[in-house]
Amino acid sequence: MKEELTKIEEIIANPNEIKISNIQELMEALFAKLKNRVDNYIGDYPTFIEPVYLEENVKIGDDVLLGPNVYIGANSEIPNYVEISNTIIFDNVKIGENFKLENCIVAKNSSFNFKNLNMKNSVLIGAANLKTELQNIGF
Amino acid sequence: MSDKEEREISRIKEVESTNLARDDIRELVIETKKAVEKDNDLLANKIHRSFLDNNIKSFDIVGAIGAGKTALLEKIAEKLTAKFRMLVICGDITTRVDADRIEKYNAETIQINTGRECALNAYHIHQIIKNKDLQNYDVIFIENVGNLICPSEFVLGTDKRIIVVSITEGEWVVEKHPMLFKMSDIAVINKIDLKERLGTNVEKMIADAKNINPEIEVITTSAKTGENIDKLLELMGF
Repeated sequence: MKEELTKIEEIIANPNEIKISNIQELMEALFAKLKNRVDNYIGDYPTFIEPVYLEENVKIGDDVLLGPNVYIGANSEIPNYVEISNTIIFDNVKIGENFKLENCIVAKNSSFNFKNLNMKNSVLIGAANLKTELQNIGF
Repeated sequence: MSDKEEREISRIKEVESTNLARDDIRELVIETKKAVEKDNDLLANKIHRSFLDNNIKSFDIVGAIGAGKTALLEKIAEKLTAKFRMLVICGDITTRVDADRIEKYNAETIQINTGRECALNAYHIHQIIKNKDLQNYDVIFIENVGNLICPSEFVLGTDKRIIVVSITEGEWVVEKHPMLFKMSDIAVINKIDLKERLGTNVEKMIADAKNINPEIEVITTSAKTGENIDKLLELMGF
C-alpha cells in the first residue's frame, strides 16, 4: 500500500505529469490492497462502505458517507455532510463542509476553507479560501 | 445553579427551538422528505434493471437483531456457492462480524457500516454496484441493518424482500410490525427448533403474516439444524 501511495505522491508533485501518468492504475491497485478493510470511527458514527482506511488522528464530522475505496491520511479533517468515494486524501488535509469527492486525490497539507464542492476525477492541491481559488488538475 | 441544572436547561432550550423551527419550515421538511423517497425509488428501479440485465437474482433480507438473518445466509451460502457466484452486502451499525461469518462459505462480501442510520438505502447499494462488474455474479443478497422498522422506508431494488423473525421474539412480533410484512415476499419464522421449549404460538404468527399480506409466502426454519433451508431456497427460485 505504501508503495502506491509514494508513487502517487511523486506524480502529483509534478502537476504537468498527472494527465500522462498511470495514476488511475495506481489508485486501483491501492484500493484492491485495502480489500475488506473498514476502520471504526468512534465519534459521530459516519457511514462507511468498505474499504475505508483511516490513518491516525483522522477527524470525521456528522452525516458523512465514506466509501467505497477511501484512504485518509493522518491528521486529516473531514467535516459534516461530506461524501467521498474512490478517493485518496493524504496527510494533514482539511476539506470543507458538504464536499462531494469522487475519484479524486487531495495532496498532503491541502486546506480548503469553503463549503460545497462537487468534484470528480481530479487532483486537488494547495490552499484555497474560495472555490475560485481552488487548484485542481483533471485526470 | 449546578452544572447538571444548567445542562438540563440548555437541553430544554435546544428542544424548544427545534420545535419552533419545525413550524416555520414544515412545508420544506415535507417537500424534502418526498423528494428523498422519490429519489430512492428511482435509484432502486435503476439498480433492479442492472441486476436483471446481468441475469442476477437479488434478495433483500430484513429482520430484527438476533432473528437469524446472518445464520440463514451462512446456510444459504453453504448450499449456493458451489453452483452460483454470490455477493452479499452486509449492513450493520459497525464491525464486519457478519460479513466475516458469511465469507467463510465462499461468498464475496461487502460491509456497509451505517453508523447511526438504521437502514440501508438505494444510494448505498448504488455506490457499491457502480464499482462492480455485475457480470461476475449470479446472485446478490443484501442483509439489511437489524431492525423491523426503518427498512420499510427504503426499497433497495431487489427481486424479492425476505423478512426474518424468530420465535424467540414472541408470537406478537408479526402483528406489531405489519409494514415490513406488507412489503415482503417471503416471511421466514426462524429458530423453530426451540418451539417446544418456548411454547410460542407459531400458528398465530403464520396467520398474522397472511392476514397482513395474503400474497406472502411463509416458511418456518431453523438455521441451526438446517430445517427447511432447502424449501426456503425453492421459494426463492433455486
